[in-house]
Amino acid sequence: MQTRGLPGLLLVLPALLLLVTLTLYPVGYGFWLSLHAKHSLFPQQTFVGLDNYLYLVNDPEFWESLRIGLIYSVSTIALQLVLGVAAALLLNESFFGRNIVRGLVLFPYMIPTVVAVILWKWMLNNQFGLINFGLVSLGISNEPINWFGRSYIMISLILVSVWQFFPFVLLAVLARLQSIPTELYDAARVDGAGPVNRFLFVTLPQLASVLFIIILLRSIWMFTKFDTVWLMTQGGGAERYIRTMPVYAYLRTFNYYEAGMGAAVAIVMFLMLVVAATTYFFLFRQEDQL
Amino acid sequence: MTRRTGWQRLGLGLAVTVLLAFAAFPLLWMGLTALKPPSEIFAWPPRLLPEAPTLSNIGRLFAQTHFVTYFKNSLIVSTAAVVLTLLLAVPGAYGLTRYRFWGRETIAATVLFTYMFAPIMIIIPFYIVMRTLGLANTHIALVLAYCAFSLPFALWMLRTFFQSIPIDLEEAAMTDGASRFRAVIHVVIPMALPGIIATGILTFILAWNDYIFARILISSDNLKTLPVGIADLYNASVIDWGMIMASGLLVIIPVVIVFSYVQKFLVAGWGSGGVKG
Repeated sequence: MQTRGLPGLLLVLPALLLLVTLTLYPVGYGFWLSLHAKHSLFPQQTFVGLDNYLYLVNDPEFWESLRIGLIYSVSTIALQLVLGVAAALLLNESFFGRNIVRGLVLFPYMIPTVVAVILWKWMLNNQFGLINFGLVSLGISNEPINWFGRSYIMISLILVSVWQFFPFVLLAVLARLQSIPTELYDAARVDGAGPVNRFLFVTLPQLASVLFIIILLRSIWMFTKFDTVWLMTQGGGAERYIRTMPVYAYLRTFNYYEAGMGAAVAIVMFLMLVVAATTYFFLFRQEDQL
Repeated sequence: MTRRTGWQRLGLGLAVTVLLAFAAFPLLWMGLTALKPPSEIFAWPPRLLPEAPTLSNIGRLFAQTHFVTYFKNSLIVSTAAVVLTLLLAVPGAYGLTRYRFWGRETIAATVLFTYMFAPIMIIIPFYIVMRTLGLANTHIALVLAYCAFSLPFALWMLRTFFQSIPIDLEEAAMTDGASRFRAVIHVVIPMALPGIIATGILTFILAWNDYIFARILISSDNLKTLPVGIADLYNASVIDWGMIMASGLLVIIPVVIVFSYVQKFLVAGWGSGGVKG
């Protein structure tokens, strides 16, 4: 039995008020800001209508940020999914020390981004980094690779991002794997299905609903990822070549001091996400998900 | 369970080793570097274990930088964010599960929708709002930001948790003459405690790890939290790798401690949508 009534609403109200004032209001204010020309530090602002958006349509920097952002998010999401699912299948097997391994493997996701970035900047360091040492002594590369220069920065960034975020996929998939009834596998064995067929026809359909949500959430988070991208690229000399959309919004606001334009970039990013998420939802949603 | 052949066991062991090396070795390498004297840090070829382990990197971190201040700031801000989030989310989630009222499902759906609002979208207007309120460059602004960001998942997680507690127990306590409030305090909260603690821990980790809000909202050095402090330390001048690795090691220690508590809940399956990011 659930009680009908007002007390429930009163209990939720404080949380709701905070969410409205600190999340929904800023989003609305951001939209309003995007219709103005406003310096980031001074209060004066002029209403310019859709001028900021019209400017972006012809802004090569904006289109470049979209291109770079898509390369970054699509590749990191794909790699996270493959690695996360593979690792989850592995850690679902029983072996000695499994719980400790499960705990250790989740760490990259739990540590601050700044730590993930500095430790990989050390691992990938040109002169003293372990990765370059390995590559050179194994003869894979003749000379140390400049991982933060223009040609390799995207690869380094993808590596660090996949390292940092694949445990999320692992965690969600592993939890789901544990709830698949073993009878399904027994039945498949009786029918003569080998390991590959058991994965394709038993495991994968069972994982469909959790993968649906993982892909949705990870896409939203990778497309709007700021800290990993920003911290990885700063100071390597290749900042100019790795401007994803969130970085571009940040630069417009805090380097060019164009708060209105920065807000416009953020709003375009948001609208793209809403359109993509809605399309995805209607294309792939099955019964009883969410 | 079928028994594995020797080859299968070897393959499994190898795969687990590769996975561990990828996920955990960089962290181990950071810890080892933090304990090496400079001569060994830059040794070529590099050696795995420190020959003469030293705490001098940590000593320099404490003596020459404001690391201790950043640490204290992070602790204050993260703890305050946890307290505020739980004070709002526990009653809120209880209200969402135990009462039926107009708009309840809408509220639950809206909470999920806020996942679309990335920090970078909110931070620009949020910063301007905080400046107008005179709260820019204060810890209060940070606590409010983290609370706003944790609330959606806190409400969502606690809701699933309250749903799993049979309502009969409260009703039994209430027929025995307890008020609803007392029934909640003495029956529901103790049963939900593991969930409340886990939610608190995830909020703590979110606040402890945040870079972007602290970067933009805080300008005074003595108010900075650890992620911003460390990033600035790294960008300062010639990089003191031993000291930087030591700072990384010390920052993740609280995360390791609290995370070992939630890990079993996470792997058990609920709230895997937990931490944002």
